[in-house]
Amino acid sequence: MTDQLQLDSGMLQYVPKGAYYEGADEQFNQVMAMWSDLFTHDRTLFCLTSLLGGTGFSKGAMAHMLLSSPQTITGTELVPEGLAFDYESKVILYNLDKERTPRALKNLLMLAGGEKHRRVNNARTRRIILQYIFDRDHVALDNLAINYKGKLKKLVRHALGKQDLFKILNGDQKLFDKWIGRYHANAMPVLCYLFDRELAKDEVHAYFPKIDQVLRLKAAAQAGDVEEFTKQMKGLPRLTVMGYRNTYKIPVDLDQVFKKSKVSGRQALQMETAAKRQGVKLEVNYKKQDIYDLWKALYHKLQSGDLENSDKIVDAIGHQSERKEKLNIGKVAVVIDASRSMQGSDKRPMHPFLTSLSILSILDNIESVHYVGGKNVRVADTLSAVIPSGGSDLWRGLVDAVLTGAEKILVISDGYENSPKGMFEHVYKHFKDSGYEFELLHINPVFSADAQQGSVRRLTEDTKPLPVSSYKYLETEIIFNRMIENKDMVKQLLVGKYNKLIGG
Amino acid sequence: MASIFDILNFSGKGVGIGPVQSVDEMTVIPLVGEDSGDVASPESLVFEATTNYGSMVFKNEDSKPAIVPTNYMVRGRGAQDHAMAGSGVVTAGQRKTFDTACCIEETQGGYLSAQGNEEDVLPVDLRRSLLNYGKRTERHYGKLWSSIKRWLQGVGVRTHAAHLRDFYDDKDIRSALEEFAAEFEPVDGQIGAIIMFSGTPVGLEIMPTTAHWDAYWQQLLRGCYGSELVRLKRLGQVAPSTLVLPAIPEQAAPDEVKIILDEFVENLQKEVIPVIKGIAINGDRKISTDGNLETRLITTDTGGGDVILQDSKPIYVSLVL
Repeated sequence: MTDQLQLDSGMLQYVPKGAYYEGADEQFNQVMAMWSDLFTHDRTLFCLTSLLGGTGFSKGAMAHMLLSSPQTITGTELVPEGLAFDYESKVILYNLDKERTPRALKNLLMLAGGEKHRRVNNARTRRIILQYIFDRDHVALDNLAINYKGKLKKLVRHALGKQDLFKILNGDQKLFDKWIGRYHANAMPVLCYLFDRELAKDEVHAYFPKIDQVLRLKAAAQAGDVEEFTKQMKGLPRLTVMGYRNTYKIPVDLDQVFKKSKVSGRQALQMETAAKRQGVKLEVNYKKQDIYDLWKALYHKLQSGDLENSDKIVDAIGHQSERKEKLNIGKVAVVIDASRSMQGSDKRPMHPFLTSLSILSILDNIESVHYVGGKNVRVADTLSAVIPSGGSDLWRGLVDAVLTGAEKILVISDGYENSPKGMFEHVYKHFKDSGYEFELLHINPVFSADAQQGSVRRLTEDTKPLPVSSYKYLETEIIFNRMIENKDMVKQLLVGKYNKLIGG
Repeated sequence: MASIFDILNFSGKGVGIGPVQSVDEMTVIPLVGEDSGDVASPESLVFEATTNYGSMVFKNEDSKPAIVPTNYMVRGRGAQDHAMAGSGVVTAGQRKTFDTACCIEETQGGYLSAQGNEEDVLPVDLRRSLLNYGKRTERHYGKLWSSIKRWLQGVGVRTHAAHLRDFYDDKDIRSALEEFAAEFEPVDGQIGAIIMFSGTPVGLEIMPTTAHWDAYWQQLLRGCYGSELVRLKRLGQVAPSTLVLPAIPEQAAPDEVKIILDEFVENLQKEVIPVIKGIAINGDRKISTDGNLETRLITTDTGGGDVILQDSKPIYVSLVL
């Protein structure tokens, strides 16, 4: 397959936010070409690779591709032994379940034309959308409905179509059972809530306490009843409460809203600065946060100059770094590209550099770290950091790493070298020709539409870069590397993974 | 005959040469230094509209004077694209019309507005056409059309008139230009650069502050120098890169390698000084005075461009070499 296909794990790690140098559209065309190539070449492999670690967007777009074209039983689309006939739907649903809910809903919304995708509506998409939403227990459905009302409304309307939706909302029990009742027999109040319909008063309905509470909150807001509003907002999603507070101009202190309403740990970290600007203090449990989010929060603090809690974040990074399963590739000297381009795009500021730091945090056996470029910023007596800046004289990092005598040298860089271009390879060749024995590894966190091969730029002719846009995707990268050499083995391995994760 | 070096007064202004960046045929020698000039931040200057063919309007929202970079070009949909005939000064809080601007999309009608535009700087060879004082100050919107037509000849772009945007809108060229701009990065304290094609200097740019360089470097490298290099490559008129990486003796130890390469990089920087010293000025003419800013058009043996002085000290230089 390597003869025909130019692909690497970058296809599973795509996020449409562009890079320092490239817009999202250029990159999208490149990654779309990879998806199409693999899809045409081997649909089963295409589907199963989406079980590997990757970004929600990539998986959503891949699912969209699968659902846009019917799964037949001819040619390359034959279901291999060991897989269920509806394995594609199962893989798609499994991936949706593993995703954070907002991302999963966005992926489903791709089927309704979201994120520049073509609308797709067929029996499979209909089933998958409705199964994802309604095939959950009572409490979970209640929570889902109040947190994502707008998105769910769009999805249900798309899946059912205007006519069937109209009939169901007007009491067509048979249709309700066919599409929704099979997953959740008592879901009618949820449907009515989503479409702002009154429940039929002469019938007995299941009770969804959160939905009921939101309706009471809304009624209090409409009536301008501050006391009742304050009472009802307890435990409801912060965005919902803020929405009604702002729409109906309810004079409740933000401090009260932040104290009584609920928000996820990740959202709390993201909202910390905004809350502070409003004079509200948020309690964030840093030790429970993802290591990338922690680095991001720390750099945000460094750049904004607001250092409150930065010591706690530093501690939490240490804590997470110890807790994480370490990746041991042997003793290694690490060269980190801290040139200006590692700042990333406007839409995803600092992403390449923060990814480098996150990878560094989970690597074992690090003997030395060499920064190339960058500006050291001391912000307090005990706190300083490197900020990406300046040109990329990567050769300097290589020489420093070789000077340590390390057997493995890992370079984390976007592969853009200009001081001058080609000097890294020139120096690398010198060392190799002179008998220096070290293995060079190149991790590239930046997708590049102009890469000569694969999805990222390379630094030397004989070092294939590993595209790793998140420290979480190292396994994905390793499996893709094997795929280049032995497609059948990888396919078997993925079938095994499917049976272990999903079964049936 | 004065040297450009005297005008720049490198030592007096504290301008130094930063680490050289070189990719294929193009070399960028960063000029680093402290901010000079008491001028408005680049964000304070906004292109507002074209009010007539050949008239570009800029607004300065700051309490200090603002500088419009030389041959600033604005391209928008459904309107005649325009470029400045030189640099411009917009005094504090002023809205100013530059009526010597050039139309660069011959057969397109309509006026540009503030929104939805792409902004660049004219390609270096077209800038050369505007170095003549008469042409520079002429109020004739079509004054660049014949040069544009000539410039577009043979580059393989589908165009039927003096439509510069046909070059920038070409899919392959657009992608080549993006890739090209991607190769270079501003360095700390950078206020300008000397740009070379295959070892020959083609441009010298110095902005008043690092913020100005940060704001305009991509438009210069992409729109002005990158486009010229892409064009020359398409015409097969660009000499191969002259940069030869240093020979490293076999068995040289890492610390020896480091010394060799450091020397190489240092020499690249040193080699620039005589190149700049050799740029002699043979003409110098005042274009305008706006408050304490004076704009002068200087010419050299091979080119020329604008120098803006504030209280007689140069704070902005943009030369085609």
